[in-house]
Amino acid sequence: MLTQLRIEFIKLIRSKSFYLSFMALVGFILLMLWGFYSYSQRKAGGGGQAAAQFKYTYESKSYFNGLTFALYSVVFSFNLLIPIFVAMTAGSQIAGEARAGTLRMICIRPVSRVSILLSKFLIVALHTYLLMAFFIGLNLLVGYYFGWDNLELFPGPLNLVEEPGKIAWNDALWRFFYAGFSGTWALLVVAALAMLFSILLENSSMAVVATLAVYIMLYIIGRIEFFEDLRPYFFTTDMDFWRDVFKPIIPWRSFFHYGSICGAYIFGLLLAALVIFDRKDITT
Amino acid sequence: MWAKILTGALFLFMLACAIYIDPVRDRSLLGVRDPERARLRLMTWNIGYASLESDSRAHTEDLKAVAETILKNSPDAVALQELTGQEQLDALLGHLQQRYRGAVCGFGSQDRIEAVLVKGREARFEEIPGGDRYALGGVFRFQKEGPEVVLISAHADAFNAARRRSFTGDVVDWARARSPNQAVFIAGDFNFELRARSQSNIYTDNIKHDSEAYSYILKHFRDLGRDAGATAINDRRIDYIFGLPEVTLLQRAEVLKGTAVGRMDHLPLLVEVQL
Repeated sequence: MLTQLRIEFIKLIRSKSFYLSFMALVGFILLMLWGFYSYSQRKAGGGGQAAAQFKYTYESKSYFNGLTFALYSVVFSFNLLIPIFVAMTAGSQIAGEARAGTLRMICIRPVSRVSILLSKFLIVALHTYLLMAFFIGLNLLVGYYFGWDNLELFPGPLNLVEEPGKIAWNDALWRFFYAGFSGTWALLVVAALAMLFSILLENSSMAVVATLAVYIMLYIIGRIEFFEDLRPYFFTTDMDFWRDVFKPIIPWRSFFHYGSICGAYIFGLLLAALVIFDRKDITT
Repeated sequence: MWAKILTGALFLFMLACAIYIDPVRDRSLLGVRDPERARLRLMTWNIGYASLESDSRAHTEDLKAVAETILKNSPDAVALQELTGQEQLDALLGHLQQRYRGAVCGFGSQDRIEAVLVKGREARFEEIPGGDRYALGGVFRFQKEGPEVVLISAHADAFNAARRRSFTGDVVDWARARSPNQAVFIAGDFNFELRARSQSNIYTDNIKHDSEAYSYILKHFRDLGRDAGATAINDRRIDYIFGLPEVTLLQRAEVLKGTAVGRMDHLPLLVEVQL
């Protein structure tokens, strides 16, 4: 198993998509920086339009700090950007081998198919964690340039709290650390789904598109107010548990409840993938 | 085989955890009851119709039912929104068998107005300008020894978040300028779109305006109906009663379900506090 993991890890770091995902995240941070800069010039408090027009704005100097920037950047990218790279890596694991004609060769080696699939999934999990950790780390690093201060949270934007709250900056850094793990756990649902499609479809492009189609479809339907009764049945709703670590008081019961639902999706899809892959007739 | 069994076991374990761990809310705003102190009951109700109707203001034929709900719950003061004018207030006071006194605010640039009713006590009423509209404050004494109570009835713009924010700022500033010996409550339909649980957007200017307006109120007041649930159709909580945290001990907050008549799109919010 360890040898298998080592082989899969080498394959991962040699693939171009691995580096592409990190580069895309860097590009996203640059755009966020540009956006934040133009916003603070145009609208923010302390002499901006908002301060002149309204009696109160929470955009004090301490509000726009490095930690706020990091939080916004991570939350905005999590739902629509990072899942693309997770689906891309996971969707190409089996289907990519099939397309390259190497799947049969891998399977005739004296390694069980279950070990092959599990090692591939563990490598996808590692890639997902690296993506989250790199993205959070880079955001915090960029944020450090602006200066870290307390993380102020308000109802409405980011949908995190129901009343204004605050997290001390040193505590907030721990919350970002936790978010690396909770975000990875949530994204593994997408990874497990992509692995299943990768086995079923034998074409990595189709597996990635099918995964993203399901994910984005549920995401969109879940965000339309008319269909709010459907929300509890979508895994995209449960995946949002990862952000609970950014609430002033972490709602642990809710966190573990939705984390467990995500776990059920992960292991349920993985079990289905294992059973299908173990019995699959490999003709490529 | 062991790997499949382990994965299956993990799947069942996660499922069991999800069922066993109930994500219930574990805190409440309710204060400790003090049987010695009298309770003040306040109600807010937008008695207008949904905006799809040809006339979305209150309908006179509904006022009897409105009066019945008020009499049944017997609030000490009521903040009403979207009346068509003084005639409707007079009709409502008639249905209330003159047990309440009341007043309406000026129209401003609107075609509908707000009212405050006070039960069986001397009261004075003051208009509160807020942009192109008015809110109304009713001032009365709840107990001989206690502080004067001020109930503000306000209705913020339904379609423009920036106007809601300006209006809210004016009303809060008026409330804050009251004497420290007065217990001020701000009630009404603020139309804030703040749905922390629904997570229906990433970020918009409208959400931010509402967030800043709501946060401004919460800087000085407490949202007494926060746990009472939705007050309007489509599961929206847009009617509020805010009270000063230092003088208000919340005992009960309830949305009175099943009381809307005709094509009303709001339900009354009733709170009970000790001062």
